[in-house]
Amino acid sequence: MNTPVLDVKKAWVSRELKHDRQLFRAQFSPDGRFIAAGGQDKLVHVWELDGEKKKTFNSHKTWVSSLVFHPKAKRLFTADYLGVIHCWNHEAGGGPQWTIPTADQDNVRALIVTPDGRFLISGGDDATVKVWNTDNGKPVASLEGHKECIFSLAISPDGKHLVSGDLYGSVRQWGIGSWKFERELDAKILHTRLDNFIADVGGVRSLAFNKDSKLLAVGGMKEAKSNAFCPGKPTVLIFDWATGKQKTELRIKGKSDGPFNAMCFLEDGTLTGHTEILHSDSELTFWETNAPEPLHSIKNGSAYDLSLHPDGRQLLVTTYVSGGSSGNGARKRHRDQYTPNTTNLKIFSLFSKSAAEKAGC
Amino acid sequence: MNHIPHNHACGNTEHGVSRRQMLGTLGGAVGFGSLLQPGIAAEIKKQNKQVCLIWLDGGMSQYESWHPLPESKFGGPFRSIKTSIPGVHFSELVPETAKIAHKISVIRTMETKDPNHSTGVPRIQRGDPIDRGVTYPHLGSAVAKLLGPANPNLPPYLWIKPGNGGFIAKEAGFLGAQYGTLALGDGKPPIHIHRPDGVSSEIDAARNALRLKANERFKAYRGASEIDAYETSYAMARQLMARKEIFDDSKMDPKDKERYGTHPLGRHILQARRLLEAGVRFIKVNSYHWDTHGDNFNMSQRLIPQLDRPFAALINDLEDRGMLDHTLVIVMSEFGRTPIINSRLGRDHWPDCWSIALAGCGIKRGAIIGETTKDGAFVNSEGYDIGHLFHTIFTLLGLNPRKTRYRIKGQKLAIAHDDCEPIKEVMQ
Repeated sequence: MNTPVLDVKKAWVSRELKHDRQLFRAQFSPDGRFIAAGGQDKLVHVWELDGEKKKTFNSHKTWVSSLVFHPKAKRLFTADYLGVIHCWNHEAGGGPQWTIPTADQDNVRALIVTPDGRFLISGGDDATVKVWNTDNGKPVASLEGHKECIFSLAISPDGKHLVSGDLYGSVRQWGIGSWKFERELDAKILHTRLDNFIADVGGVRSLAFNKDSKLLAVGGMKEAKSNAFCPGKPTVLIFDWATGKQKTELRIKGKSDGPFNAMCFLEDGTLTGHTEILHSDSELTFWETNAPEPLHSIKNGSAYDLSLHPDGRQLLVTTYVSGGSSGNGARKRHRDQYTPNTTNLKIFSLFSKSAAEKAGC
Repeated sequence: MNHIPHNHACGNTEHGVSRRQMLGTLGGAVGFGSLLQPGIAAEIKKQNKQVCLIWLDGGMSQYESWHPLPESKFGGPFRSIKTSIPGVHFSELVPETAKIAHKISVIRTMETKDPNHSTGVPRIQRGDPIDRGVTYPHLGSAVAKLLGPANPNLPPYLWIKPGNGGFIAKEAGFLGAQYGTLALGDGKPPIHIHRPDGVSSEIDAARNALRLKANERFKAYRGASEIDAYETSYAMARQLMARKEIFDDSKMDPKDKERYGTHPLGRHILQARRLLEAGVRFIKVNSYHWDTHGDNFNMSQRLIPQLDRPFAALINDLEDRGMLDHTLVIVMSEFGRTPIINSRLGRDHWPDCWSIALAGCGIKRGAIIGETTKDGAFVNSEGYDIGHLFHTIFTLLGLNPRKTRYRIKGQKLAIAHDDCEPIKEVMQ
């Protein structure tokens, strides 16, 4: 089978996995055989993509907030809003291999594993980046310096640097292994606190390196108008990694008003990201990062996570689906049908259908 | 100042009576007028009941505060924590209130009608009475009219809010501007509260007499309402001018500032306590931006603790000062928030089943009222509309909402919805 030519303008939904609750995170496994997802139902769901087999892992006591696969071993790490991290064997199933009961005082918002598989790194509400041994969950290092909760983590593809982004728009760079602070990048535009606000809004919700570590994409939203609806302008800042200076500010075409929760670079250097909007369609957006306007965008429901398949041709989009009762109350007539909103895990094939037929996939 | 429409020379003697009541009220008399029997009025005055309404504008999520239900399909991600009432849990976002839960009541089955802010806020604050083609007063103005001032030297109704202050006449509805509220922007007194050093008290008094004379002459050819609004606001400002110490930050215990919090809602609830101590009858404290359609869980994590600490501190302080038995504290919004979580991870408006907290002045201690469906979405026992709450409030304040009537242009108008009753479960 030939690998089809990457063509995001011809992207199409090649598979959907539906779930009856809202999911916040979903990722392909490094071997591309599994999808793991978690969210409001407190469960960790693992779909085997060759067929329809599915496992469910049940130990979290609250919403699952983050998850990441080990790059080499059969391990899946999942975290929740109560600061708990579990390590699972997603292939064999069963209970957690080990657990960190207090990885954060509250919500663990981001997890990542170093490319060599040695270290699991977490960030969350207590504003401290924490490094754990992936074999046993023992603490390795605690990196302090953020002044507010950490939303996002990324590791440079060369495996030398870690970045963490917080509510105030601070992106801090740390050395992998030395665990020393190296520098701070300024993404404060992604944080808003107007005089009449009673809470801070926004933050660095997503981070992504391109494949040669020359660019860092920093995602969120700017110019929030209130701390209630929290509407803002979805924004991605592209930083030159060598200089730490911002090069470009990327925009969207449509009317989404939420932050970029997830982004990833494709092998040709195209960046893709997804945002949210209230009670309407959002968009999956693609950019060539040297220009602020999108290369292409695809209408889609709000989405909270993206994951690129190891083949580089499939993009998993954790898409919100309205159950039809969204909006303001007084819906007694639907009392029996009043159910939570749901999720569609959409796999976008990033090439044309005809290319797929030619390639025999 | 809000605009009140002219009602030129309508010939209604009620206006004159109301104005005299108001002036009497401001001068020291109790303004019950013809509303109440003298004996009842004297009893109410003796009881000296006061009210603090903490209004979280936009709607606080019941799931993230008084009714967490984390095990249900609509529950949020936060912990459910034990309270001082055995078997009762609140959200972990209200830990201080959880410690004093035995001093308050929570009604978990508010079932109101309006899912919109623009209509819902006035509808709730007016008690949603039967529509008789008149604009009912907001609760604070109603209490100001029905009970008069608790301290004759202070305005009966003050409103602490973020942003600008000023006299808000429209809250008074058909009662007329004199029952409006003086809003204290950021909890501060009117900016011209201080008499300039160069103006002696004698000169000030003479100027005031001249002003009153001019007002009377002007009023002879005009409707009373605008003059009343101006006169009332002026009189309120003069009253506060005489009590500058209530607003003097240097006289505040730094420990109080710490306990209540330095954010606006904390400072404003602390200022409300000082005004209650001084004898203001009704104080409304507003906090805005609770309408968490977007990012509800991050916002609730930051907003709800801003209520929790000062609310618990207020209840404790009122009790310590012996004031809780005669001071009614209400925490509410125009509705709650939807069980369903939307695309922006927010919760929308939900009047169908939501929660309020109450304390003091005859409210039961440690009562959790109402049964909901297991997921908290709908009422599964008796639902309480805002009319029931108004009946409850008026009853606790010593009024009989079945018998007490407003008299407006010859009409006798119920002070609360005719078809509702007090919520007896919440009353001692």
